[in-house]
Amino acid sequence: MASNIFTAAITGMNAAQYGITTTEHNISNASTPGFSRQQVLLAPNIAQQFGSGFVGQGVDVTGVRRIYDQFLTTQVLQEQTQASYLNSYHTSIAQIDNLLSEPVAGVSTTMQGFFDAMNGVANNPESVPSRQTLLGNAQATVNRFQSLDQQLTNIANGLTGQISASVKDINTYAKQIAALNVSIKRFTAGGQGQLPNDLLDQRDQLINQLNQQIKTTVLQQSDGSASVFIGSGQPLVIGDQAMSLQMVNSASDPSKTDIAYVAGGRTVTLQQSSLQGGNLGAFLSFRDQSLEPARNALGRLALGLATSINQQNQLGQDLNGALGRDLFRTAAPVVAQGAKNTGTAAVSAAITSVGNLTASDYQLKFDGTNYSMVRLSDNNVTNLGATLPQTIDGFTVNITAGAVAGDTFLIKPTANGARDIALLTTDPAKVAAGAPMRADAALTNLGAATISSGVVNSPPSAIPDPAHPLTDLNLRQPVSITFNNPPTSYNVTGTGTGNPTNVPYTPGSDISYNGWTVQVTGTPASGDVFNVASNVNGVGDNRNALLLAGMQTQNLMANGTANFGEIFSQLVGDVGAKTHELDVTSQAQNNIVIQTVAAQQAVSGVNLDEEAANLIRYQNAYQASAKAMQIANSMFAALLAINP
Amino acid sequence: MIRISSSTIFNSNVTAMEQQQSRLFQTQQQLASGRRILTAADDPVAAARALVITQSDATNTQYTTNRNSARNIVSLSESALQGVTTLIQNVRTAAVDAGNGSYSDSDRRIIAAQLSGNLQELLGLANSTDGAGNFLFSGLQSKTQPFSETAAGVGYFGDGGQRNIQVSASHQIASSDSGADVFMRIKNGNGSFVTQPGANLGTGVISTGSLANPPPVLPLNNYSLSFTVTPGLPGAPDVTTYDVTDTTTATVISTGNAYTSGQAISFSGVQFSIQGAPANGDTFTVTPSVNESIFKTISDLIAVLNTPSPPAANGGTANLVNSLNRGLTNLDNALNTISTTQASQGLRLNEIDSLQTTGDQLGLQFKQTLSHLQDVDYNKAISELTQQQTSLQAAQQSFAKVSNLSLFNYL
Repeated sequence: MASNIFTAAITGMNAAQYGITTTEHNISNASTPGFSRQQVLLAPNIAQQFGSGFVGQGVDVTGVRRIYDQFLTTQVLQEQTQASYLNSYHTSIAQIDNLLSEPVAGVSTTMQGFFDAMNGVANNPESVPSRQTLLGNAQATVNRFQSLDQQLTNIANGLTGQISASVKDINTYAKQIAALNVSIKRFTAGGQGQLPNDLLDQRDQLINQLNQQIKTTVLQQSDGSASVFIGSGQPLVIGDQAMSLQMVNSASDPSKTDIAYVAGGRTVTLQQSSLQGGNLGAFLSFRDQSLEPARNALGRLALGLATSINQQNQLGQDLNGALGRDLFRTAAPVVAQGAKNTGTAAVSAAITSVGNLTASDYQLKFDGTNYSMVRLSDNNVTNLGATLPQTIDGFTVNITAGAVAGDTFLIKPTANGARDIALLTTDPAKVAAGAPMRADAALTNLGAATISSGVVNSPPSAIPDPAHPLTDLNLRQPVSITFNNPPTSYNVTGTGTGNPTNVPYTPGSDISYNGWTVQVTGTPASGDVFNVASNVNGVGDNRNALLLAGMQTQNLMANGTANFGEIFSQLVGDVGAKTHELDVTSQAQNNIVIQTVAAQQAVSGVNLDEEAANLIRYQNAYQASAKAMQIANSMFAALLAINP
Repeated sequence: MIRISSSTIFNSNVTAMEQQQSRLFQTQQQLASGRRILTAADDPVAAARALVITQSDATNTQYTTNRNSARNIVSLSESALQGVTTLIQNVRTAAVDAGNGSYSDSDRRIIAAQLSGNLQELLGLANSTDGAGNFLFSGLQSKTQPFSETAAGVGYFGDGGQRNIQVSASHQIASSDSGADVFMRIKNGNGSFVTQPGANLGTGVISTGSLANPPPVLPLNNYSLSFTVTPGLPGAPDVTTYDVTDTTTATVISTGNAYTSGQAISFSGVQFSIQGAPANGDTFTVTPSVNESIFKTISDLIAVLNTPSPPAANGGTANLVNSLNRGLTNLDNALNTISTTQASQGLRLNEIDSLQTTGDQLGLQFKQTLSHLQDVDYNKAISELTQQQTSLQAAQQSFAKVSNLSLFNYL
């Protein structure tokens, strides 16, 4: 019996020691990420049967388990990956938001300066200083476009680094998880039903960290290992095998990197849509859904402004009396071959109407017979038929022979618009403030009719000038309009007019020849002559400058729905709205994560008060067991003291 | 009861304080910058709208600059034309003065010399510049001197173009007036026809005339009146008759019409009168009005005043009177043309002023809207700041208290 007392007391002391050790382990790891508190499992030893009944044999430590809830842990993973996604996206897009919102950094201020200066030229067309001011403001506008584009490009470059870091992290985590799988499997097999709690916690923590980079699905295997899947079911970790991700050049757009999955020596490019959640998902979404569209939108604005001003300037006459030329360099569309193309065709694209451009990129596809164009912003498909060139959304696409079914081509009409805009002249005289022709009433006219100074028609003209394609070859030829008797009709003479006679006169109606339009109003007298001629010495003419200045408020962009300033404010508004949305949703998601983690921690987390109480409890249990040992000892001593 | 892990207590308190600090910082930034919208994300709709309104406001301000420029140029032209008006009135007074019957040829030469000076002065006014070397009345060719003397008198070398200036979003106003319209394209005579004497020897003085009722079919033809004086019977006055010929078609309209001095003569829709005693063979012509520049009118006057009058037997000062009459009519026509231009300039200045008022009001509205969209409401922001400050302090103090609670303190 006495030995029984010793045994029971020792098991009690043992159990208390286990308890104290586990409690101390819990206390030590109270702030270790991913740690689940542990608990000593106790069970009574099987009682010994005596004649008088079953006598207890003390306590048995059956194991140490971690307090863990699979459902809550999975929930934390899910919410965490979404939170990482939203936070990363928000942090990234906030850069653009800050960039565009800065009043002195946006292009609105410089565009306003440009058009103000254009008004200045319209007010004083012969003044070289006012023209110089205009060129200065034009240069400032160009600089602002370029610097904004540069900053967006810097963000894109930084993003490539972040994507690369994220991919590295994922690969490292995958290897570590696979390594832990090996250990866990071995310990589980050799542990006779006991689990390596801390290794499991470590693996959970790694999965959690992996999950912050990319959304994963985890399957627990019966041998203790965990299989981790990403994307649309690609295994990243199976048992002790870790697969990896790799950055590759995009097959459709060589300027971009895609993520490829490497398994067994084979590389498969992953669809961006399957790479969701986590930092990596956020970086890719941000790049494709916010950064590139913002850069395209800025490019579209730069192209729109530069091209519109160029075209109008070409319709005018500069201070030297020459026909106007381009003031700005404009960017050509970017065209890229699909990496998997088997044909030899080359695609070219040219912008035909800036007013119809969108900020989207396009993909041209060839199915062997027909071409189709996919607008990538909304995946709208337009069938272009079997022959090119065709015009769509303001640009014309053409192809050389040699396309093979399945070939694709990427077209980015506006991508480099802001990067490549430049001022082509430093000569203030080159601003075409005047019109190349002027209409005038002869000094001898006796009637009350007057003639408007005239405007140059928008292209295309009937006989384009080969040296100056936007204007008519005969634009500056002298033309006379002579009223007949009675003055209800007139004759026209001059090169290019065809010399029509007896043209009926309607006051105020347009009279158009040789690429210009004038109006005669009022009552002419018979014999009255109106002359249209080259605007020689017309340095005080501001007709074209007025048209140039008026472009600021004209809806020249987005199919005639917005002016330049509105296009920029739309960009700012769009980026702002997305940032705002992400701000709100990421905060909400962070709160959800806090709550989910709190729920998970409510089960698995260490409460120090609880551990302190456990410490006291196990201390007391140890002391009590020791007391029992002491009693047993004194009983034994008492027994030995009996002298028979 | 929910179990709370110790790290949860720390983490959730720290997160709560971070969030409050972030809000406090945002409010403080708003107060410091005076802007409610720090980045577009704070209020995307308002931020986009603010950009558009900023542009509208800046454009509106630019129109003010344009209006000032237009006002400046129109005022300059107006004062030049004011000078021209005064000058023509002086010329007119001198021309009236020159008709004084007691003046001798040499008296008239003095007046002619004065008019020559006036003509040069007028040329200077017509060649006025804006102070930067740009001619006011040369149409589109602002660096080309519009008026200069040629062998055929003063010629116009500008054009008929007018410069327009954008004075409001939808409105352009002409800031310049072509010299052709102001100085050159002035119809002579009564605006329809001109009456002129031939190389007459009689004392017939012809009036400017007017269109009769019914008016003539336009364009008018050229007509000629030729006088025949038949000596009367002894004791009776001579009989003066005249024939009317349409010289354009070379048809005789009427012959042997009895002439009475001062009585209206009317044919083919034109009407005028002749006073005095035309000599036999005297002619008068009626021709359609043509444009005559103010320079030619004055030059003609100078030429007439420099021409000595024949003796009374050969008509005396009748030709002088006829020429002065014609010159005075043309001077009046020039004054009319110039005052029409001045009236138009006055209207334009009025319009600019009224657009200025509208533009100022519009600018005020834009600024109010902008302020409403962008600017921080200080009362609200300060009250928010105080509230957030209190919350943060409460969170900090309670965290300090709660985090101190531990059973270990009692072990």
